[in-house]
Amino acid sequence: MKTSQIAIALIACWAGTVCQAQSMFRGDAAHSGVYTGPAPRAFHRVKWKFPTGDRVVSSPVLSNGTIYFGGDDGSIYAVDAESGRQLWKHATGGPVPSTPDVVDGTVYALSYDGKLYALDARTGAVRWKFASGGERRFEAKGIHGLQPKTQTIADPFDIFLSSPVVAQGAVYFGSGDGNLYAVDSASGELRWKFQTGDVVHASPAYAGGVLYFGSWDSYFYAVDAATGKEKWRFHGGEDPVIHNQVGFQSSPAVVNGVVYTGCRDANLYALDAATGKEKWRFDNALSWVITSPAVSHGKVYFATSDSSLYHVLDAATGKPILHQQDKAYMFSSPAIAGDVVFIGVMNGTLQARDLKTGEVLWSFQTETSKQNKGWVLTAERSFNDPLLYHSNWREAPIVAADRQFAIGAIFSSPLIANNVVYFGSTDGYLYALE
Amino acid sequence: MRLAYVLPRQAKQYVITSMRVSLRLAAIFMFLSTSLLEAAENMAGRWEGSIQIPGQELNLIVDLDQTNGKDWTGSIIIPGLGVKGAPLAEILVSDSGVSFAIKGALASERTGQTRLKGHLTEAGQVSGDFLQAGNTAPFVLEKTGPPQVELPRKSTAISKDLEGEWKGDYEMSGYSRHVTLTLANHEPGAASAQLVVVGKRTTNAPVDLLTEEGGFLTIVSHEIGITYEGRFRKEAGEIKGTFTLGPFEVPLVLRRTP
Repeated sequence: MKTSQIAIALIACWAGTVCQAQSMFRGDAAHSGVYTGPAPRAFHRVKWKFPTGDRVVSSPVLSNGTIYFGGDDGSIYAVDAESGRQLWKHATGGPVPSTPDVVDGTVYALSYDGKLYALDARTGAVRWKFASGGERRFEAKGIHGLQPKTQTIADPFDIFLSSPVVAQGAVYFGSGDGNLYAVDSASGELRWKFQTGDVVHASPAYAGGVLYFGSWDSYFYAVDAATGKEKWRFHGGEDPVIHNQVGFQSSPAVVNGVVYTGCRDANLYALDAATGKEKWRFDNALSWVITSPAVSHGKVYFATSDSSLYHVLDAATGKPILHQQDKAYMFSSPAIAGDVVFIGVMNGTLQARDLKTGEVLWSFQTETSKQNKGWVLTAERSFNDPLLYHSNWREAPIVAADRQFAIGAIFSSPLIANNVVYFGSTDGYLYALE
Repeated sequence: MRLAYVLPRQAKQYVITSMRVSLRLAAIFMFLSTSLLEAAENMAGRWEGSIQIPGQELNLIVDLDQTNGKDWTGSIIIPGLGVKGAPLAEILVSDSGVSFAIKGALASERTGQTRLKGHLTEAGQVSGDFLQAGNTAPFVLEKTGPPQVELPRKSTAISKDLEGEWKGDYEMSGYSRHVTLTLANHEPGAASAQLVVVGKRTTNAPVDLLTEEGGFLTIVSHEIGITYEGRFRKEAGEIKGTFTLGPFEVPLVLRRTP
């Protein structure tokens, strides 16, 4: 083989690896949140922005030069990564706040219509659909102290659907019906399902033949990927009165035999991947950890909701390395590329932070956030709680949460590829920044 | 004037100048007094209008009145934001306008108090700025009638048996909190309370309403959003009630400190 041919082969191999690493939620099957390639340490321009019909909660993925993501307008989109031009869209029967996984020319994505879709990555044509027992949001009586407390109310902060992960020829995903499903990736036939006690909207991570995921039933599970048999379970916090401090909404990262996961009980947990034994926990004083942690070079990166703190912990001990006060809640999961950490903030800001110091290198604010209609934000871009949450009766808090989300909030976990940062916003756009 | 005959010319001139100054000052004072009285007459009343915040118009009703011809009182209604009869504070009225803060509504530790600053226009309207959480929006008000100021509930005296220090614990979202309540009577006929909640941090809740009616105690800290309601049970030496913090509601029994 000539030198040039070897070089081309190496480049193709490298490119293939990169595509694979960027073609699913959190960058890889273990959900480390680490992306290969360079990242912009300075903001230069909006490369393009792609409009959809509703908010974009889904995180974009990249495969063979195409960006794939879901829209709450009910469509799964394929967009040219370079130009931002739509290649195709496929309408589903409900919002798609789930991140697709692209494997071997097939896009797998979950819709609120309760179906997992397998689409041709090139054309968007349906290869198969699999119907779960149906989607629903986490719900409870008196949730978060909402009134009337004798009535069951759906949690407005249950914002994501589970994002599928593909391994061992199967697609694994959680469902609002409380199951984790394993579906044959080629045929769409059910291999097995594993029942939990409540909604599973966290995304399963796959490592060493085991699936790791949390449920809103307050348990975190490890399940054999081949058989669907439980290996162990870990009990998180309970909150039987107002159901505020319970449930795993965060998706885990599995690195070096340790599972890291956030929880609505306000802890970030580190669990032994083999046994489920707790190694350490980091208490966030009643503030939810919705973000999926990113893990790199012995450090864990995550952020909190109400307390709006960006944290870096020692992965081995859980000891804090640094924390920084931000302006608003963070549900978006941090993504690491090079020496930069990217994270979306619910006030409509995307931040690029220095990996080592946590210093904000640059930030980008969506236009909708700048307009600040209805004064959802204070002048300092925190949430204007006195104006938003002035009543906890009937629909008022639901409407308030919806107003918060509509500010151009960024729930999407950023994708970094070739020095470009891709993410969605509730203003209905998918952004590409460089 | 008699003085003019006995004083030397320079002194006489000084006196005349002084008198002129005094007369002018008196005139100005009278003018100002009249103006302030007019301002008072102008500003007292019910004012209705709207605030234009970006993408949203809020209705606004302000009641301003002057008691004893001196002290201003007022309350405000903003129907879209759940504000009804919130008391006004730091009311300043001049011949050209008015400013005040809203007490206990649309405020938080982070955002501070909401304020309105307005001036009288030639058309008899009050227009100005609505300032909340660092944001500023224009408002316009027109007088629509006499004032209907909503006076806040006043604290009452409490029975002698309730005076002193009370302690209890409650649990919320898996964490325990320790509450210390100190009650005392004051002249004339109103009691006061100190409420300290110790959890992960210590909160000294400023109590702005304390009432007792037939052994039923109500304590409110509007600033923190705490309400405690309980019945005094003399035979058990306890107050058995409910502690509410925002949307959270838990039972809380307070017992007298030995």
